[in-house]
Amino acid sequence: MTVLDHAAKTSPTETAALLRRRRHAAARRTAALVTLLAALLVGLLAVALTVDLKRVPLSEVAPAALGLRDGLADYVIFKIRMPRALTAVLAGALFGLSGVLYQRLIRNPLATPDIIGVSAGAGAGALTMLVLLPALPHGMTLAALAGAFAAVGVIHTLSRRRGTVDTYRVVLVGIGLSALFTSYHTYLFTLADDQDQATAMRWFVGSAAGADWTSVTILAWSLGACALGAVLLERPLSGLTLGDEMATGLGARVPLARTATLLLGAAAAALATSVVGPIAFVALISGPIAARLAGADRAGWLAAPVGAVLVLASDVIAQHAPVISPVPTGACTALIGAPYFVWLILRRTTGDPT
Amino acid sequence: MSDTSPPAARPARGAAVLLLGAVALIVVVVGGIGLGARDIAPWDTVRILLHPDAQGYNAHVLWTERIPRTLLAVLVGAALGGSGMIMQALTMNPLADPGILGVEQGAALFVVCGVLFLDLNDAHDYFWLALAGAAVSALLVYTIGVRANTGSATLGLVLAGVAVAALTVSVITLLVVRDEAAFAQLRFWSVGQLTGRADVLDDILPFAAVGLLAALPLGRTLNVLGLGADTATGLGVNVARARLVGAAIGVLLCAAATAAVGPVAFVGLVGAHTARLLVGPDHRWSLPMSMVCGAVLLCAADIAGRLAGGDGEVQVGVMTAVIGTPFFVWLARRADLVRV
Repeated sequence: MTVLDHAAKTSPTETAALLRRRRHAAARRTAALVTLLAALLVGLLAVALTVDLKRVPLSEVAPAALGLRDGLADYVIFKIRMPRALTAVLAGALFGLSGVLYQRLIRNPLATPDIIGVSAGAGAGALTMLVLLPALPHGMTLAALAGAFAAVGVIHTLSRRRGTVDTYRVVLVGIGLSALFTSYHTYLFTLADDQDQATAMRWFVGSAAGADWTSVTILAWSLGACALGAVLLERPLSGLTLGDEMATGLGARVPLARTATLLLGAAAAALATSVVGPIAFVALISGPIAARLAGADRAGWLAAPVGAVLVLASDVIAQHAPVISPVPTGACTALIGAPYFVWLILRRTTGDPT
Repeated sequence: MSDTSPPAARPARGAAVLLLGAVALIVVVVGGIGLGARDIAPWDTVRILLHPDAQGYNAHVLWTERIPRTLLAVLVGAALGGSGMIMQALTMNPLADPGILGVEQGAALFVVCGVLFLDLNDAHDYFWLALAGAAVSALLVYTIGVRANTGSATLGLVLAGVAVAALTVSVITLLVVRDEAAFAQLRFWSVGQLTGRADVLDDILPFAAVGLLAALPLGRTLNVLGLGADTATGLGVNVARARLVGAAIGVLLCAAATAAVGPVAFVGLVGAHTARLLVGPDHRWSLPMSMVCGAVLLCAADIAGRLAGGDGEVQVGVMTAVIGTPFFVWLARRADLVRV
């Protein structure tokens, strides 16, 4: 029985009580799912720290992860594995957040920063800085932000026609722009010397390899700031999902909320890209996975943990899977993400928000 | 002249434009032979061309590098232009292009497998793998694209292409990233370029020539298919067979081009639309014109890449993306293209 059927038969107070019960049930379900995902993350972290471990006893892993050991255990666990795993978690969360912000704002599940070229723009910015001024402090982070904002501006301008922005045109224009950025990557990539190819490859497909505690710090601050922004934008954004007129009627400042969300999503994708490169498909699939787990209206809260789980799991596979490893993280996320993307465009019914 | 063809068939104009295209082609071929990183005086170039057995470094550069390379660019460009026009006509999708739809990447994946696992090193050998890969990915993209539920058939096909291309590119990455020798060899091939590929010309010429010759008489069939399946059947065309033959030739052309230089996107797209702008929608004229436009575009992009690179060169795949992306975006902005 739907709420409306129920409301037709019962008194307003009973209907209100029913709605409240449903909201509480959904909130409990979301909390349970967040706990579950957190447990999954801890489990994956344990796997990432311990799998294929040679010459470091398992009993040493936990203390070494907190930085309490010296020598080999400290080097392998605290200097290499721990920062890499945390980088994967934080970058995945940022990608997931950026994707769900765009999906909710643009109301098209395909219009995520990785598909429409915002991540590629950030990568182009960071890579240019890497080639031109590698010594500038935070140069790559700032250049990635600049590249992502420029990409958003160009896509927004080019998708506009007679004052309206068509969501499918956003996707098409973005795909075109992505191709341009990718060919720029390719150009810089073939300029690289042989010994720089690992670096170049990382900027091509994205990888958490070589992450250190500096990357973790940058990403932690980024995630904190972006999550705060997302919390502040939550009310206006849920107003926007009702449509621009309705949102204006409810008191939201629509253009401001829209611009802020576009920039916040681009910033989240850019900050993650500036550290791990343009890891594909995480922003695209985190939102829909979260929506299937918790329902469309609560997907916003779950997309970041889902993204974190996806990237960490992909990174573990990329490093340790038999036969294929070691490969860049992004190659593994594409192997999972591209089939899911196909499934998404095959099954989606028109008008479904996420 | 057949009654079943749409109007706008103005042979006089078509012939004139085709002639103009031929002139443009001659200009870029002359440019491709005359221009490059090494300055060779025009007079020297003419003298070397007149004396094929001349000695010296300039003669060597011309005969073993620039001339085969320019001819390869013409051949590959024509193949991609023809392939793009056939794919657009068959799918009725103005954004169809062998590179955008992921067909070239599929061919590339099979070639990479051949190089890694079967020790193939000649384009002559791995052409068949490229053909199989192109056919498989074309079938896959088409199957996904027609079932896609994205509000617009145009977009469905493009998205299917993007997904298949992403998948094949990441499998290529998985395959080559650890094998340093393969990586060094495939790094340049996988981005699409003409540098140092002059020796491929002899290997690929028969396949490309067969494809181009087979494509030329397709114009009338494509015109009839463009009227819709029912009308075409009413006019006595076996629609399924006509589509299959068209698709096979389109895939063959794309495979020949990819086996020769690696995946190069946007040439088919730009070639087909330029041809349609110039000679109108009649495929009997626009299909050959698209081949000419593709050849001119790839040759010009190659020359531009040679001159723009400074010390090195800009790969021709990068140059065509620089030219092709604005074109793609302009098409995507057209009002009649995207319907929700």
